[in-house]
Amino acid sequence: MNHRITTIARYTLLEALRTRLPLLVVVVLLTLLAASFFVESIAVAEGARFQTGFYAAGARLAGVFIVGIYVLVSITREFNDKGMDVALALDLPRSHYILGKLAGFAALAVLVAIAASLPVAWLAAPQAALQWAASLGLELAIVVALALFCVVTFGQITPAASFVLAFYLLARALTAIRLMSANPIAGAETFSHEAMRFVIEALALVMPALDAWTQTAWLVNGQAPWTVILQLAGQSALYVVLLAAATMFDFHRKNF
Amino acid sequence: MLHSVERPVASVPRPVLALLIVAFCLQVAWQWQLPKPVARAEALGDPPAPAALRVAALGEPIVLAQMTMLYLQAFDNQPGVSIPYQDLDYARVTAWLGAILELDLIGQYPLLMAAQVYGAVADEAKQRQMCAFVRKQFDRDPDHRWRWLAHCALMAKHRLNDQPLALSYAEAITAKARRASGWARQMRIFILADLGEIEAAKVLLGGLLESGEVTDPKEIHFLSERLKELEAAGKSSPPSGIRQPGS
Repeated sequence: MNHRITTIARYTLLEALRTRLPLLVVVVLLTLLAASFFVESIAVAEGARFQTGFYAAGARLAGVFIVGIYVLVSITREFNDKGMDVALALDLPRSHYILGKLAGFAALAVLVAIAASLPVAWLAAPQAALQWAASLGLELAIVVALALFCVVTFGQITPAASFVLAFYLLARALTAIRLMSANPIAGAETFSHEAMRFVIEALALVMPALDAWTQTAWLVNGQAPWTVILQLAGQSALYVVLLAAATMFDFHRKNF
Repeated sequence: MLHSVERPVASVPRPVLALLIVAFCLQVAWQWQLPKPVARAEALGDPPAPAALRVAALGEPIVLAQMTMLYLQAFDNQPGVSIPYQDLDYARVTAWLGAILELDLIGQYPLLMAAQVYGAVADEAKQRQMCAFVRKQFDRDPDHRWRWLAHCALMAKHRLNDQPLALSYAEAITAKARRASGWARQMRIFILADLGEIEAAKVLLGGLLESGEVTDPKEIHFLSERLKELEAAGKSSPPSGIRQPGS
C-alpha cells in the first residue's frame, strides 16, 4: 500500500516541479521582496517592521493562491485528459490514489513554504522565522487538502475555486465574526440574531480559525510560545485527515 | 468529464467511512473544547494608515469603514461595560475612529460611538479625550456633526462640571453649524447665564429674538420668558434652560 501511495506522491511532486510552477513561485516571491523594499523606503518610521509585515502577509496570500490554484488545475486536467481513468483502470484502490495525490501536493506545499520563508529568515529573528515557516507549511497543507476535496466533489474549476476562496476568507475572518456576533449593542435577543449566532458557532466547530496560523505578529512583535505551534500542528493534522477522509468518501462514490 | 450519477454510500469502503466519521467527531470535539475568543483590550493595536486602508478597501471605502467600526466595537461590547472601557487605550481608539471617518466622511457612527459610548466611561480624562476628538471632527463638517458636539457640551456641563469647556463647544456650534437645530444654537446663551454672565446672555437672547431667526411660536414664547427671567435678575433660574427638540 505504501509503495503505491509514495509512487503517486513522488510523481505528483515531480510533475509540479517540471512545470513552470517553481519559476512562478520564485518570480512572485522576488516581486514581493522588491515591493517590500519599496514599502520600507517610503515608511517614515519602523521601516524594517513595515517591510517584514508587508512581505510576510503578501507571501502568505500568494502561497495560498498558488498552491490552491495548482491543485485545482492539476486534478481537473487529469479528469479531462482521462489520466485518472487510466490510473483507476490499474489495480489501484481509489483511496491510495487520493492519499498519494494529497501527499504529493502536501510536499509541494512544504517546498513553497520553505521558499517563502527564506527572505523571512533574513528579515526576522531565526526562531520567529522558523515558527512562521512551520505554520505556513501547515496552512498550505490545509489549503491543498481543501482544494483536492473541492475539485473531486465539484468536478469543475469554477465552483471548486469559488468554494476554496470563500472558505479561506471565512476561515481567516471567523474569529472576528464570532466576536462581533457574541455581544451586539442592540438586538441581542432577537430571533434573527440568535439564529445567526447559532450558525456562526456551528461553523466554528467545523472550520479552522486560520487567523491563528502564520501570524505576522510573531515576526514583528516577538515569537510565539512553541506550544502554540504544536497546537496548530495538531489542529492542522486533524483537519487534513478530515478533508482527506471526505475526499476519499466522495471519490469512492464517483462513477467514471 | 465525470458522470453525474453517483454510487451509493454503501460502495464506500468501511475504513474510509469510519475515518471520516471519527475525524469529523474529533474536529468538532477539538473546536468545542477550545476557549471562546474574547477581545482583550490590550489586543487593540494601532490602525493602519488611512492610505493603506483605502488600498485595502478595493474601491469600497464605505463598506470597509462599516466593517472596521464593527470590529472596533467588538473590543468594548462585552458583558460589563466599565471594565473593558477603562482598559482600552483611548489614543488608539480615537486613532481608529479617525481612520474610519477618513474612509466614510458622511457616516456618523464613529462620532456617535465617541460621544455616546466611549465618552460614557466614568473616567474624566477619557471623557475629555473623546470630547476633544469630537470637537476636532466637528470642524470638518459642522452642519452634519453638530449634534455630537452638542452632546459633548452637555457632558462637559453636567458630568465634567466644566462650564467654560461647555461654553466653547456651544459657541462653536452657534458660529459654524448654520443648519443645527435651534436648541443647539441657543445653548451658549443658557450656559452663559449659568456662568453668571447674565448681561451677555440677555444681549444674545434679545438679539436672537430680534433677528427673526426663531420662527416657531412656542420657541419664541419660551425664549421670551427666559429673557424676562434673566432681566428680573433674581437668579433662581433653573440650570440649563435648554429645550430639547420637540419639547
